[in-house]
This record gives sequence, structure tokens and C-alpha cells, in this order.
Amino acid sequence: MNVPQNQASTKKVAFFNNPANRAVIYQALLMVGLGYFFYTIISNTLANMEARGIKSGFDFLWGTAGFDILMSLIPYEPTDTYGRTFIVGMLNTVLVSSIGIVLSTVVGFVMGVAYFSHNWLIRKIATVYVETFRNIPLLLQVFFWYFAVLSALPSARQSLSLGEAIFLNVRGLYLPDAVGEPGSGVVYAAIAVAIAAIALLRRWAKRRQALTGKQFPLLYATLGLLLGLPLIAFLLMGMPFHWDYPALKGFNFQGGITIIPELMALALALTIYAGAFIAEAVRAGVQSVPHGQTEAARSLGMKEKQIMNLIVVPQAMRVITPVLNSEYQSLVKNSTLSTAIGYPDLFTVFVGTTLNQTGQAIEIVFMTMAVYFVFNMLISVAMNLFNKRVALVTK
Amino acid sequence: MNKLQTFTPSPARPAPENTVGPAVWLKNNLFSTPLDTVATLLLGYILLTILPGVIDWLFLSANWTGDSQDACVNDGACWVFVSAWSQQFFYGSYPTDELWRVNLSIAMLVVIIAASYQFEKGVREKIIIPLFLLLPVISIAILDGSYLGLERVSTDLWGGFSLNVLLAAASIIVAFPLGFIWALGRRSHMPFARSISIILIEFFRGVPVLALFFMGSVMLPLFFPEGTSVDKLVRVWIVLILFMAGYMAEVFRGGFNAIPQGQYEAADSLGLSYWQKTVLIILPQVIKVSMPNILATFVMLFKNTTFLLIIGIFEMLSTTQTALSNSRWLGGHAEEGYIFVAVVFWTVCFSMSMIATNIERKLNTDHQ
Amino acid sequence: MKTKWTWAAAAVAATSMMANAQAGTLEGVKSKGKLSCGVSTGLAGFSQKDEKGGWSGLDVDVCRAVAAAVLGDANKVTYKPLTAKERFTALQSGEIDMLSRNTTWTHTRDTSLGLNFAGTIYYDGAGFMVKKELGVKSATELDGANACIQAGTSTELAIADYFRENKMKYKAVTFDTSDQTRSGFESGRCDFLVSDQSQLYALRIGLKNPAASVVLPEVISKEPLGPVVRQGDDAWFNVVKWSVNAMIEGEYQGVTSANADGMRANGKPGQKRLLGSEGDLGNKLGLSDKWAYNIIKQVGNYSESFERNVGQGSPLKISRGLNAQWSDGGILYSPAMR
Repeated sequence: MNVPQNQASTKKVAFFNNPANRAVIYQALLMVGLGYFFYTIISNTLANMEARGIKSGFDFLWGTAGFDILMSLIPYEPTDTYGRTFIVGMLNTVLVSSIGIVLSTVVGFVMGVAYFSHNWLIRKIATVYVETFRNIPLLLQVFFWYFAVLSALPSARQSLSLGEAIFLNVRGLYLPDAVGEPGSGVVYAAIAVAIAAIALLRRWAKRRQALTGKQFPLLYATLGLLLGLPLIAFLLMGMPFHWDYPALKGFNFQGGITIIPELMALALALTIYAGAFIAEAVRAGVQSVPHGQTEAARSLGMKEKQIMNLIVVPQAMRVITPVLNSEYQSLVKNSTLSTAIGYPDLFTVFVGTTLNQTGQAIEIVFMTMAVYFVFNMLISVAMNLFNKRVALVTK
Repeated sequence: MNKLQTFTPSPARPAPENTVGPAVWLKNNLFSTPLDTVATLLLGYILLTILPGVIDWLFLSANWTGDSQDACVNDGACWVFVSAWSQQFFYGSYPTDELWRVNLSIAMLVVIIAASYQFEKGVREKIIIPLFLLLPVISIAILDGSYLGLERVSTDLWGGFSLNVLLAAASIIVAFPLGFIWALGRRSHMPFARSISIILIEFFRGVPVLALFFMGSVMLPLFFPEGTSVDKLVRVWIVLILFMAGYMAEVFRGGFNAIPQGQYEAADSLGLSYWQKTVLIILPQVIKVSMPNILATFVMLFKNTTFLLIIGIFEMLSTTQTALSNSRWLGGHAEEGYIFVAVVFWTVCFSMSMIATNIERKLNTDHQ
Repeated sequence: MKTKWTWAAAAVAATSMMANAQAGTLEGVKSKGKLSCGVSTGLAGFSQKDEKGGWSGLDVDVCRAVAAAVLGDANKVTYKPLTAKERFTALQSGEIDMLSRNTTWTHTRDTSLGLNFAGTIYYDGAGFMVKKELGVKSATELDGANACIQAGTSTELAIADYFRENKMKYKAVTFDTSDQTRSGFESGRCDFLVSDQSQLYALRIGLKNPAASVVLPEVISKEPLGPVVRQGDDAWFNVVKWSVNAMIEGEYQGVTSANADGMRANGKPGQKRLLGSEGDLGNKLGLSDKWAYNIIKQVGNYSESFERNVGQGSPLKISRGLNAQWSDGGILYSPAMR
């Protein structure tokens, strides 16, 4: 606070010229103004709702929905409630956002590094990719993937298939599903144990490297643990899984896992759009590392891979992380474009159909906004924690 | 008898064969390692299989002339669709005789932006900036017409690409001062003002713009007193301004952080008041360092104006969809329409990001 | 401060764009000299925009008929394109004077939204379209199939009811616009397309090969479409209701835009009464004597409008069916015009 420090000279300052008093007055004015503003809005809204016979409150959440939803991660029937459509939509939003975040990071890093490739063709492709997809509205790209690319796939009866187990057609990608039998729990437990073991191993390896400089082949150990432990459990328990293959029955493929084209199109569009921005950030990040750093590492005799992993990437991450944070957030927000192609996420299901059936605009729009707001806060918190780890430690 | 030895320079040897010439360029850039060779061949093969078909559809066997669907007899793209609807795509249903008003508004926007580079500082601050801030009002007066004694053109006739441009510009211009005030509020020492600013900024940044559009189209009418109705375009404009102000406030925050503390202290020691300090010393510097980010934010807003399709405003993409549902054009011209819209948007957005890169480069040299 | 001036100016501009909804819509429309009519953002045959920006369609003709009756000029209409979600809000808030946006007359809407339906302009119902190659003859054979549906329509509920009733399963693939629904069906994303019958024909015409698809005989719901006005303004309600009736009665009496002048001078008594050369029907509505004459002269009778927009004179070629006069086997019936 800029409270005047010199007590003697403040005596004659007029009341209004004292910054502390002014602050109080300004804020009081602001408070009254805002209070009046919200009071007007709320009383107008209440009066309008009463005059137009619009219902209010959250009772509608327990009403029967009566419509079908294309895809749901939890069991859903048209006889379920509007409240359940909210959950179904929210889970679908989480699904498409997570896929988008993971894939766009991969695409972004690959394309960002491709910018520095020795190969002219790869460099050009990376540049053209970034400049094309960054500058075309995302909604058009969603339309492109859904209506131009995915709907050009063959019909259900002429599916592209891989060994009669995986099918791809205009209705989606069909994969075989591993169905657990008694004893499968042990395999899941083995996966959990493997993950825990890897985490411990990584810490130990890092400490050992810091103390002795010896490196541990972490990648192979990780892969070995992750595949080996569950495999041993799988064999020991007498292979407690069987495959559920998709097969054409009647109009559609039945069984297995179905990935609907709406999900594929939206995930593709979000991935490629956000990937272009991330690639640009990776390029800027790598360029921000002074060339002297690479040269110094090379003169120390480090291998190219080590230079990349230990010298360039950790420094580039300081530039990249803030961009990742904002790109992940816009990716989640942009997933609302699902409504243009009918991927049943929170926006399509809840703000689209449920709002239209119940007419309770205020409750529904606010509930939806709150969900996206919370998702973005979570991403922001997670990325800030990550940012603290990669930030330059100045001593 | 000293003989002067004449120095005869030996001719420069040619450059080693393995450093120049197209063959070497190819070797270094396309086939330097076996892995490289494989990648080049694979990518080259993919490009060569896709491109001819695309070029053929786009240009060689496309239909270019005519004014109805029947003119499209070839297998390729039906560009007749685009040319027949081009006035709708750019101007919406704005009356043909009054199109000069739309053109004038866009011309004013371009001239004022260009002028801000040309004129000297004094002129810029006294004339250009106020003009810039008044531009939305002037444009609305011209487009609407009733204040200027022109024929009134109601907002449901406005549309097309010009609407995308003007709405984006009008929003960011008003969001400029608003975002600046929010950013100031966020830095303020007054706890109430600060928390209100943070809530506003984080709310409008954290919520999908589509949800905000829905708020503008379905919820805002409930906020006004009974019996009053505010034009839909104005409601959307309000929403876009608030959305943009949230983003601009964050851009300005970055700008504030880049200003050395000494600037504030120097201004304080000269005895400048808070507003003098902020407007005369800090604001110009903030705008300068934030310029690339401001442009990037504008590009984002501009691309997002296509989302207005979802709530039935006739911007360019939504005009395309309307055209597709006309019973005389039911032949499925979606590809042509969408490609045309994509090319128009790409051209504008790409040029703007080029400008942003240039400014950034100029700023970098200024500091060195 | 310059900023403050900008704000003040913007506020002035915004407030002057506000329009107060008058208590008497009829007087309001007369004094404005323009009718503000809510239509769809684009629906083949009902409200569609052309390259010149002009509007046409059956729904649009209702707006034009009311403008002709009230203002004497069918072109004095301001069209407000609305999405399905905002149509009722726009009417309630007074942004539009009437809504003519293929809106289904349902009990809930009529009783709980503060609105009145002023008649039916088109009797519709949800139906199915399938590809011929599937060999499906009836909707009851569609168990386990995928359905292409336009999101946010009452069809979404109708089809859920129908499949539950018949103990069948389906998967709903929803799209935002009718054009997208069509391309989804065309690409094979779903086995059948479900939509209002009127739209099925429009969608079928748009297919690359219309002959490869058939419309199934089942009609699974009642969808009477009509214009809507605000509740509590009976004078205006009457004007819209009787403007629609005048179009229907015009066809019944054999009055067309071509022969309206002759009939007004020397037609049968019923025709003269409709066209305002006898009696004072217009006066009772608060309109001029020529109200119905203007409608039929400038917009046409129901048959003319139907054939021009969705019938044989249009690419849609929908047959009259339920929408024929009661005397021709349909259910169109105007109350007595006297």
C-alpha cells in the first residue's frame, strides 16, 4: 500500500487527496454501482420469467429425458433423467478433451522439431502445416474432417478390415474388446504395481545419476516393467481374458469397442488445430535456447540425443509451458464445436437438446459454463505446478 | 639489376564438387541419410498421388461460368455456386444500391490502421486514436443510416464476410479501453476493485465463447426490462466485447510486466497523477510491447466470429449454409462453399500473422 | 476523456436500437409501416433466402399475407431469421410481431409460454427415408439401425417414443442443419433419415441420386405448423388468424391472384364478401375493406402459395395430401367468412 510515509506532511492534505481515503470512496462507488447493476438484472429477469411463465429451479434435472444419446461412457437409456444427460455429456467432454490434449502435444512436438530437420521436404511440410491450420477457423476444419474426409469412408458392408478384427467404415472404427474373466483382477493389479515400481525406479535412478553420474537405462526398464509384470500375471492366472470381436449383424457391427466418427472428427480437428499452435511454440522454444549451449554441450562430448534431452528441451520448456497451458484451455473450450457435428458432449447434449426440451436457459447455460470454468481452472493449476518444476531456478 | 618479380595470381580453384550445385543440394537436403531418403520418397509419393486429383477437381475440370446449378456439367468443382452467391458471401442481404456504405466502413478501418503507422506521434495521439475509438460508432451510424438521414438498413440485412470483419473490429476496439481498465484493476491496490477485475477476466476467459453466444442470444433478452428488446446483433456485440476484454486484459498484463519499474518511479517522482502516469507514460509503452499479442488475439477473435453460425447470425459461414439449403441449389456444393470460405479466412489471417511477426522483429531490434 | 465519449456514444447508439413492444401490436405495425416477422434461418420451401437476399417460402408467405392485410403491401416485411432455440424468446420480448417459423402447435407451447397459435398453415408429421438397397418396406423393420436426425427438433422425441412403443432399438446420430443431416444420410453414416415429411422431400431432392432412396409410408407424429403471436393481444391474434383463413378460403372460393379483380367487381356474394366489395369484414378486424383482396392479389391463395413454394411449381414437388381443402379429401377448413 502506498500509504504516505511522512506523517508530518500528511496533516494538511485534504481529505480527498489522501490516497487511502480515495481508495475507500472509489471502491464504495464501484460496489454501489455493481450492486445496482446486478439488482436491476436480477429483478428484470425474475419479472420477465414470471411474465412469460418460464419455470425456474433445478427440478427439471429429475425429469425424464426421453431422447437417445449416440454415445455414452456410462449406461444410458431414453428413460433416464435430464440430470443423467448432464453426466453423460460431461464425461464425453472429458474424453474428447483428453484425447485432444495428449495427441496435440505429440503432434505439436513432432512438427515443432521437424522444423529443424535436415530434410528440406520435412521442413517445408512442417511450415505449411503450421501456417495452414493456424489460420483457418476451427469450425471449418471440423466440417472438413467430418463431412469431407470421414464421410468418404466405405459403407458398413464394404468396411476396410484388418484381419477380421478391426473394421473401419463410415460409421466408425471398430476394435476388438478384451473381456475379463475371473482372475483378471490380478492382471489389473499387476499393472498398478508396475506403475508404482516405475515411479520408484525413476526417483532412484535420478538420485543415483545426481550423486554418481551413472545413467540407468530407464526407457527399457520402464517398458520391461510395464509389459512384463502384467504378462506374467496374465500367464500365471491362465489367460483370464477373451477377445470380443466386432461383427456385422443386421444394420450395424455389434460387439467390441466402437469409436464413432463424430469423436474421431472432433478429436482430429482439435488435435491438428492445437498441434499447429504447439508446434509454433516448440519452434520458438527451441530457437530461444542460445546456440552456444548446444555448442558447449557438443564440445563436452555429449551425444546429439543427450544434448536434446538434457540441454535443449529443459530450457525450451520454459518458453513452451505457458503456451501449452493456454492451448490446453482453448482446446477444452473449443470442444464445444461438437455441436456442429453432433458429437454428444456436454454442449450438444445439455445446451443443445436438454435446453430445447426444458426451456430453462439460465440454469442450463450457467451449469455448463461452470463445468468448463472448473475444467480450465484444473488445467491451469496443473500446468502452473508443472511450470514451477521447469522454471529457471535462480539462486 | 633488381628484377621485380611480377605476381601472377593463380586462378581460384573451383569449389569442391560436394558443396555446390543442385545435386549436392538434393543430397544434403533430401537424401542425406538412409532414413532421410526413405522419408523423402514416402512423403513425395503421398504428395504425388494426392495432388493431381485435387488440382484436377479444383481447376482443370471445374465449372467456372454460368448463373445456376444447371451450368455445372463437368465432374470438377462447381464454382458457379460461389460466383452466384458471392454478393451474399461478402455483404449479406445489404441492399445493392447501398453497398458503398459497407465498403466505406471497411475502407475507413483500413485507412485508420494504415495511418497509425504513417503520421508522427502528436497527430497520432490527438487525431488517430480518438478516431479509432470512435470508429465503431461512426461505422454503425453509416451502416444503419437513420442518424445520417440515409435510408435505414436494419441489422438483419447485414451479413457476409464484411460482417465478420466489422464485428471483430468493432468488438476489439471497444474491448481495448475496457480490457485496459480491467488490467489496471487487476494491478490495483484496492482489494474490492482487484477481485472484481479478476473475476471478470477469469470468467470471460474461462468460459467457451459458444456458451457466451448462447447467453447473448437466449439469456440476455431476459436481463432487459420487460417490453424492451435489444437488437440481436447488438447483444452479440456486447458479448464479443466482454469476451475480448478478458483476453485483452491478459495481453495488457503481459505488457505491464514488461515495463521496467523505473518508469513508474520516474513518473511518480515527477509528481504525475495516477491517470497522467498511466495514460501518458505507461499506456504507450504497454501498447507497443503488446502489439504482436494484440494482433494474435484479434486473429483469434476474427476466426471465432464464424461460431456465430451456431446462433443464426448471417456471417460468411452461415450464409454458406443458408445457400446450401436453398431449393434451387440442392446439389451438394458444400465442398466448394467451405473451400472458398477457408481460402478467404486464411488469406486475411495469414497476412495479419505476417504483420505481427514483422512488428515483433522490429520490436526486438529496438531493444538491442 | 475520449474513452468516456466513446462509451456514451455507443450507449446512445445501443439504446436507439431498442424497440419498445407496444401493447397493441396492430397499431404498432401500422405506425411503423413495417411488419417484423420471425422466420427460419434457412429451410427449403418454407423460408429460404436467394442469391439476391430475397426471402420466399410458405412460412414467408404468411408474413407477406399479414403485411398485405395490415399495410396493403406484401413487401413491407422485415424478416428476422431465428434459430429454434431463440424463436419464442424473440416473440415474447417483442423483437418480432409474429413468428412464422415452421413451429409445431403443441399443448405445452400453447399453454405455458404465453403464446397463441393462430391456425395451421401446414399439416406435417415425422416420417422416414431409407436407401432402396436396404430392401426395407416398413419402419418396423428398422430394429438396430442408425437414425440421422436434426438436433433440437420435436422429431428427436417422436422417434424415441416410436421405437420404444415397438420395442426396437436405434442409434440417434444428430446434426445441426438439414443440409448436414442429408450428407450424413448420403454418406451411409446412418441407415435411415427421420424428419418432418415436408423436409424429407426437400432432402431427397438434394441427394446425388434421389431415385436410390424412398420415403416410407409411416407417419409417426402430428406436426401441425402455424404462425404464433403473443398472448393477450386479441386484436392482433385475430388479424393473423384471419389472414391465414383468407388464403384458405380464397382457394375454396376459387379466387386467385389472377381473377381477384374481376371477382371483386362481379363475383358471387361469398367472393365479394371476402374481397371486401360487400359487407365490412375488414372493418371488424380493424383493417381496410381490401384486406383479403390485398392478400390474394399480392401473395395468392393457399393453393398458389403451396404450389409455388413446395408443390408442383417448386423443386420439392410435394403433393397436397392432408393439406388439400376438406372438399378435396384434405383437412384444410376455414371457418365461415361472414
